[in-house]
Amino acid sequence: MQHFPVLSLILLAPFLGALLTMFQPKEAYYRVRIIPAIAAGITLILSIYLLLKYDRSIGGFQFIEHYPLIPQLGISYHLGVDGMSLALVFLTAFIIFTGVFASWTILERTKEFYTLLLLLVTGVFGVFVSLDLFLFFLFYELAVLPMYLLIGVWGSSKYIKPRGIFARMIQEVGVGTKEYAAMKLTLYLLFGSAFILVGLLTIYKVSGLNTFDFLELNAHKIDPRYQKFLFPIVYIGFGVLAGIWPLHTWSPDGHASAPTAASMLHAGVLMKLGAYGVVRVGMQLMPQGATEWVWLVGTIATINIVYGALSAMWQMDLKYIVAYSSVSHMGIVMLGAATLNEPGLNGSVFQMVSHGIMTGLLFALVGLVYEKAHTRDILAMGGFGKRMPGIATFFTIGGLTSLGLPGLSGFVAEFLVFLGAWQAKQWYWLVPGVLGAFFTAVYVLRALKIIFWGPFNEKYKDLPDAIGTEWVALAVLSGVLILLGVVPFILLHPIDVSVMELLSKFKGVLP
Amino acid sequence: MNFAPLTLELLLAGLILIVFVVDLVSKNPKVLAGITFVGLTILFFLNLLHPWYGTTFQGTFVSNSFTGFLKGVFLLAGILVSLGSLSTAEEQYRGRVGEYYILLLFSLLGMLFVVSARDLVLFFVAFELMSIPLYILAAYQKDSEASIEAGLKLFIFGTFSSAILVMGLALLYGTTGSTRFDVLAQTLTEGEALSVLGFLLFLTGIGFKVAMVPFHMWVPDTYAGAPAPFVAFLSVAPKAAGFAILFIFFLQVFANLALPWKLVIAFLSGITMILGNLLAIPQTHLKRLLGYSGIAHIGYMLLGVAAGTDLAIAMVLFYFVAYVLANIGAFLFAETAIQNEGTDQLSALHGYAQRNPLLGLYMLIFLLSLGGIPFVVGFWAKLYVFLAALKAGYGLLVFLAAVLTVVALYYYLNVARQIYIEKPASNDPVRVPASIHFVLLISTLGTVLLGLYPKLIVGPALEIARAFVAGL
Repeated sequence: MQHFPVLSLILLAPFLGALLTMFQPKEAYYRVRIIPAIAAGITLILSIYLLLKYDRSIGGFQFIEHYPLIPQLGISYHLGVDGMSLALVFLTAFIIFTGVFASWTILERTKEFYTLLLLLVTGVFGVFVSLDLFLFFLFYELAVLPMYLLIGVWGSSKYIKPRGIFARMIQEVGVGTKEYAAMKLTLYLLFGSAFILVGLLTIYKVSGLNTFDFLELNAHKIDPRYQKFLFPIVYIGFGVLAGIWPLHTWSPDGHASAPTAASMLHAGVLMKLGAYGVVRVGMQLMPQGATEWVWLVGTIATINIVYGALSAMWQMDLKYIVAYSSVSHMGIVMLGAATLNEPGLNGSVFQMVSHGIMTGLLFALVGLVYEKAHTRDILAMGGFGKRMPGIATFFTIGGLTSLGLPGLSGFVAEFLVFLGAWQAKQWYWLVPGVLGAFFTAVYVLRALKIIFWGPFNEKYKDLPDAIGTEWVALAVLSGVLILLGVVPFILLHPIDVSVMELLSKFKGVLP
Repeated sequence: MNFAPLTLELLLAGLILIVFVVDLVSKNPKVLAGITFVGLTILFFLNLLHPWYGTTFQGTFVSNSFTGFLKGVFLLAGILVSLGSLSTAEEQYRGRVGEYYILLLFSLLGMLFVVSARDLVLFFVAFELMSIPLYILAAYQKDSEASIEAGLKLFIFGTFSSAILVMGLALLYGTTGSTRFDVLAQTLTEGEALSVLGFLLFLTGIGFKVAMVPFHMWVPDTYAGAPAPFVAFLSVAPKAAGFAILFIFFLQVFANLALPWKLVIAFLSGITMILGNLLAIPQTHLKRLLGYSGIAHIGYMLLGVAAGTDLAIAMVLFYFVAYVLANIGAFLFAETAIQNEGTDQLSALHGYAQRNPLLGLYMLIFLLSLGGIPFVVGFWAKLYVFLAALKAGYGLLVFLAAVLTVVALYYYLNVARQIYIEKPASNDPVRVPASIHFVLLISTLGTVLLGLYPKLIVGPALEIARAFVAGL
């Protein structure tokens, strides 16, 4: 079936949007907001079109576009989506569309902000749709770098008073400031990308095919001796972005300091990009290597779940709570991937989408609360439910998804992952996993109680509720959470098709 | 005698004479810079469209596609710098502008000869012709103590290294009895004491020139003290010449010498990368920082030399182009900062992007290119060199290099932070002279265009390298 180049259009829309926005005059208030909104809207429509038109009975990669770029080195412009990437493209489109509306009130250097945001999202789309490892890496870098300026220029610093014996040192380093967070995030992620680059180049070399094409490499069996040390390289490289313990520390700092839309995009989508990389490049290309190292992947994932949840429990800063919850939830994603069975991997991908949208919603809400109350310190808040019932409702929906309440998408994902863990060889992963879910309930309910239901703080008697475009963002995101919780199969079906294809590579490899 | 292969050199000599005569008539810097710029541009395109290949002087002077490419790189650097120096020359070199350009052209002439020389004597004369004008140019700001010191330092280290180099060449002559490269290649087969010593002295001499660790000490002080437009030239063109010499010597003269020179170069490449990158981190002045980052880049290029395959040669050639564009751009940005703020301290750059958005964008692109970020040319340069080294079996070294590029991004982004994130101290617009602006624009366009379409250079570079290796 011939298609018009949907995937190229998905890449082009935000990129052209970025260019157009860049050349608008500074004073044009509406134009620099409407153009990104239209660009994001186009990608959203196209991604829904993809979801509807993807032929589930055939499976595999569809909507293929293939043109040679540098034939001497086997680099080509090769795009295509399967069920897994389809779900993530869909997620990205939702987050950027709502992200544009959530940052409507940014007044300082708005033009540059939207330009960078759209560039970032071009990179993210590029990673999910490219079928050439080289192209994949290019887009990956494009997705990582704009974050530096986004946090550095538009971010916010945490108000902290360093105490104790390391106080002086902490002050010198500048922990908690946006400059520190921006640099830390960028360096961590680029450190990861150095691993990825070496990994990809080594794959290129040892396969001996002289191609970066994913489909050709997928059909080829990489020598198991190389897989054994290539898998950890790729795992660490992508794992940094997926927030694996102990390389996760950039995430709370970075996400807490970033402006709202950037946190939504980064925690919601970019961390998934790391997990996607581990599954796509690590597991699909190197099944033997993955089988050998899966015990480590799963164990670290369980540490993530518990450690992230416990850290979130201690935070006084609302944004840090949400940021640490991402670390914990990414553990569930990685745990699902490590099970290497059908329910586990389905759950893993589904959790990527579910957590992406949930975290997007939560960061949007945190942004709103901060903008109206001018504090992120939860102890200074209280009884906000009376003044902002809308925000309180949506916050509760997001929180309940986070702790896995049935009827919301988080439940489906966690249930599948735990089912997979139970069926996996290392069944004991289930214990910390479920324990983490319990801790999640504790920190979510604690935050909700203090902020919205506690005694009312008279200082905030003039607090307004969400207004105008902000409702769009909130309603769309929580609508999707409920939709996916009630009818998960609209996404699970295409995901399952791709997961089965992935698992077919493990036939005869798994003991 | 066949003079056709020498045409480019003769034309450049003619250009020197023209500048000399015009200087007698008019001392106007604009006229002198204009003649140099136009002359070099014509030469550049002549070299590009109608290269004079061939051999002359009984095979001791060779002009082929390999030397043609390198000469193009030198001329490109000359073109960019001749225009980039104009505003500095107008302000500070009153009455001495003619000599400035003549010296610059003489150094260029030396470079054109040095890559074509296939005889030890011709080689060394050309090498000195390239080096000596540089010593004078480094000290050209007569009123500045730093500039004099930079010149003196460059002079002492330069002549010292030349002495070491010529000693090495003498030993090579002593063991073989010939100065011709082709004879040397056939005779130098046994690793006997004298020829090994000659090899080591040669490596040391060239090591000073290209600033590989541990022969790099002169770089930071010289770069910090000498006038920025000249440093832009010094940091790229002689380095490219040095690498061309390394390739010619290692692949031709020492080709049959039973020495593990690849391992030596790989080791030097490793320490050069590490030291250059780590020492760049604490720098507070832009020129000094770029000096150390330049040392790190030398390390990456040495990786290509260590690989020594035709792919690696092609990629190092490509690296030169990327490096010339980004580094000259970055140094001219430093010159703009010095002209506006009187210093190249990083803290003086606060808010430059708000004071002059275009200038900020230029510098950001140069920094990204130097840092090796996709969609600008520096990324491809690094990537290709890594790929070539990986194919030659230097897996661990490539890994080290890849990790070090992240370290490098720390200090490049730190510069970007001063320009983009920090609040400006004043809101006066930053004045950029039209000549510098033009050069910055060209460099930026080149950096971005080649970043989007690297094939433009990579394709020819691959052919040239293959022809070079086949013709040995």
